[in-house]
Amino acid sequence: MKQQETNFSRRHFIGTMAAAGTIMVACSGKSAEKVKWYNQPRIAPDGPELKAGLIGCGGRGTGAAVQFLSAGPKVKITALADVFDDRLQSCRARILKEKNNEVADENCFIGFDAYEKLIDSGVDVVLIATPPHFRPIHFAAAVAAKKHVFMEKPVAVDPVGARSIMATAKKAEALGLTVVTGTQRRHQREYIATFKQVKSGAIGDIAGINVYWNGGQLWYRTRQRGWSDMEWAIRDWVNWCWLSGDHIVEQHVHNLDVANWFTGSHPVKALGFGARQRRVTGDQYDMFSVDFVYPDGFHMHSMCRQINGCTNNVSEFIMGTKGSTNCRNTIFERDGKTQVWKYGFEKDKDGNEIKDKSPYYQEHIDFVTAIRTNNPINEAENTAISTMTAIMGRISAYTGKAVTWEEMMNSDLRLGPKEYRMGALNMQQIIPVPGTEKRPKKA
Amino acid sequence: MVKIVSLFKKNLFFGFLIGIVFYFLSQSAVHYTSTDKFCESCHVHPHAKQSWIKSSHFDNKSGIAVHCVECHLPPRGVRYLTEKARLGFQDIYGKVFKDIDKINWDEKSRLEHAVSFTYKESCMRCHQNLFPLGLSKKGEDAHLYYTDKADKLRCLNCHLHVGHYSEEAQKEFQVIKKNKAAHFYTQPAQVVKFEDFTEFVPQSGVSFDMVAIPGGTFNMGSPEKEAFHKADESPVHEVQVKSFWMGKAEVSWDEYETFYVQTATEGRTDTRMVLTNVDAITGPTPAYGNPDQGWGRGKRPAITMTFYAANVYCKWLSKITGKKYRLPTEAEWEYACRAGTDGPYFFNGDPKKYTKNRLWNKVFGADTTTINSFVIYANNSHGRTQPFSAVHPNPFGLYNMLGNVREFCSDWYDAAAYAQYPAVPQSGLEHVVRGGSFKSDAADIRCATRDFTRHDAWMMTDPQMPKSLWWYSDCDDVGFRVVCEFDGK
Repeated sequence: MKQQETNFSRRHFIGTMAAAGTIMVACSGKSAEKVKWYNQPRIAPDGPELKAGLIGCGGRGTGAAVQFLSAGPKVKITALADVFDDRLQSCRARILKEKNNEVADENCFIGFDAYEKLIDSGVDVVLIATPPHFRPIHFAAAVAAKKHVFMEKPVAVDPVGARSIMATAKKAEALGLTVVTGTQRRHQREYIATFKQVKSGAIGDIAGINVYWNGGQLWYRTRQRGWSDMEWAIRDWVNWCWLSGDHIVEQHVHNLDVANWFTGSHPVKALGFGARQRRVTGDQYDMFSVDFVYPDGFHMHSMCRQINGCTNNVSEFIMGTKGSTNCRNTIFERDGKTQVWKYGFEKDKDGNEIKDKSPYYQEHIDFVTAIRTNNPINEAENTAISTMTAIMGRISAYTGKAVTWEEMMNSDLRLGPKEYRMGALNMQQIIPVPGTEKRPKKA
Repeated sequence: MVKIVSLFKKNLFFGFLIGIVFYFLSQSAVHYTSTDKFCESCHVHPHAKQSWIKSSHFDNKSGIAVHCVECHLPPRGVRYLTEKARLGFQDIYGKVFKDIDKINWDEKSRLEHAVSFTYKESCMRCHQNLFPLGLSKKGEDAHLYYTDKADKLRCLNCHLHVGHYSEEAQKEFQVIKKNKAAHFYTQPAQVVKFEDFTEFVPQSGVSFDMVAIPGGTFNMGSPEKEAFHKADESPVHEVQVKSFWMGKAEVSWDEYETFYVQTATEGRTDTRMVLTNVDAITGPTPAYGNPDQGWGRGKRPAITMTFYAANVYCKWLSKITGKKYRLPTEAEWEYACRAGTDGPYFFNGDPKKYTKNRLWNKVFGADTTTINSFVIYANNSHGRTQPFSAVHPNPFGLYNMLGNVREFCSDWYDAAAYAQYPAVPQSGLEHVVRGGSFKSDAADIRCATRDFTRHDAWMMTDPQMPKSLWWYSDCDDVGFRVVCEFDGK
């Protein structure tokens, strides 16, 4: 497979957009002076065996493992790590069944320090899909061992963690490591094609943005006999702020990341509302509505909700001075209805459409391709910036106060226990109340 | 015809030859004048070589020596020769026209000077990776901060002494935990009358003098015809001031250290702490860098504390002495400074005669005997603060109102404040700073000169997250003086 790899200045890059099927990676989140550009193959090229270790064998981790194993020839998962043996074993069984990938007993590691043993077990790449709270330390350990990393979004739950990722991202970049971060829209061909349209001026200057992740209730686990506080919290992690960052961070970061990607920057200020009405366990909200302000002055309204029986919408919309877009596949007039351009699938010789690879698979193909062709991609900093954007929105909603990016970059907020062990935790379900300095005691 | 051609060819050949010779000569001249030996031939000031040899750019694990021009010139390229010419001219001028023994090398090695002959590009040429794997957490935070503010920061902001070792800079800021004074005051001063008194700081051996300033009326600001008058000093307006006591000198390190010892907190202060919480005064956290700049402390004025810290100091002092200490208002400050006089200074003299900003004075010198005896400023400070008693006081008996360090006032700064008098600004972004400092020129230390804090700029280097509440990282010439309220009885 022939790879195209050229360095462009940004202006030149914008002026000469090529056809779909390429992936753009800005080397640095803020000042994307140099932009790398790759073909997006439908399968990763052949190469020496690539041994991966998976940290975090839950639902997403197992999914990522299957997708990684589908990326191309000679990819293997040789080690697994989790804090729970049952999760590890079910993941092990599934990749054996679906991808015929066997993991030896001695390479199955259990516990809070399992990640260290896994990184030490002779793997080439590390896949990280633990609850986001643990991402900064796992990522730092993987990069310290000079491993390529695939890690899920979001990459942190607090400002201290997000900054840690930013610094580790720079270390990884200096080492030429590839880091892909589970923001799969950046690997979705139709999004990339639309991005190119926007960058070449199809909608003019950006005037305003709406992003949505309004969906149903997510899962939760009620406590079972014999579970320690820590065990319950981790098994129920999407409902605890210190583990997931709340759903604006955990889920909605996808849409916020699209906005940051299309604008090439990040908000400088946020003022948000939020509430908890239907959630069963944990200490999180189940809805947020945040007004973000970008440095150029335009606003972004972000909404996210996890409540059943309401109108759902997971999408992005950007209004420009000349047109508008859904970011996904269409450019409209300013009315948001009349189509100006629409993404078309590739066609074979007979004129039949070839459907794109699912972006969940494509991001692993891009990951393996980047490693095998020695064209590093490093998305960690961009995803840290989008994670920080979401954290800024959450803190504003929790406190009721406007929050600035500057404050985030200077905040020493760190969530969660200092030590990790299966045992007692402060499990008070203290729900933040806007307008109060501190979280009130539970009534 | 053939002759002409051959002549031309010959000339061309000779021209070419001369060109080559000239090229190699100039190359070797550039090379020769870039050797350490050549640099040393002029830079004969003490310690330049020794401090380099002791520094990490000579004495390091890898045994690599970094030579003079590798830091003190930009990397080879466009600016290399122009910068070489600029600095070379400066050096020759200094060598020929200046007395090398009289140059204040210590001052030249401070950040504001060092940036003009050390190049970021040169640092970066070798230090290409700001995020090496071994970088500490503290280093990550600092370099992340730098990356975010790369247009405002230089490598030198944090790494000033890496090329020339400075023992002073290595010293951590450590206060003397137990005061060695023979006598510990147990009680503050008892004041019964409105007259000068000496305050005793309980649980310490520290005392300081307070001067009774009788109330009165004065003209605040300066007339437009005053030399170096600025718009914010207008219009001149009459202000009445009540009686109060004012510190005879700026708060000294002895006094400020006592505050530090009695209230200091380990680690970082909770940023949500509010000033109104006087019952539980939480004092400064350890500083980033060395707040006394390695100049010594004792009777020198305390510097680099934030406006916030100065206010907490006053709260603390009030609490332990049972009096009402605070920062002076801008009007109180100018009233006390003028001490009944109405000229540019509280002593005789013309700013135009004293200033070094005028070429005439620069070249021919000026008689600065009078100003030198009243003010510690750029001309006589040797680039650092001095003990207050080095000069004479003003007619009220106050020392260094116009020099040594600039002083915080409690008012918000507003350039248009005087036009709105008697209203005083109730809010703002920065606070008033008055008087001059050891860095100031005579033009900027008139009684009426107004200035203000620059919070963000003065915090620029501090890479801590969050930044210190207590110490400025980029301001070394502001301190403060306390006033004590007189209840009128």
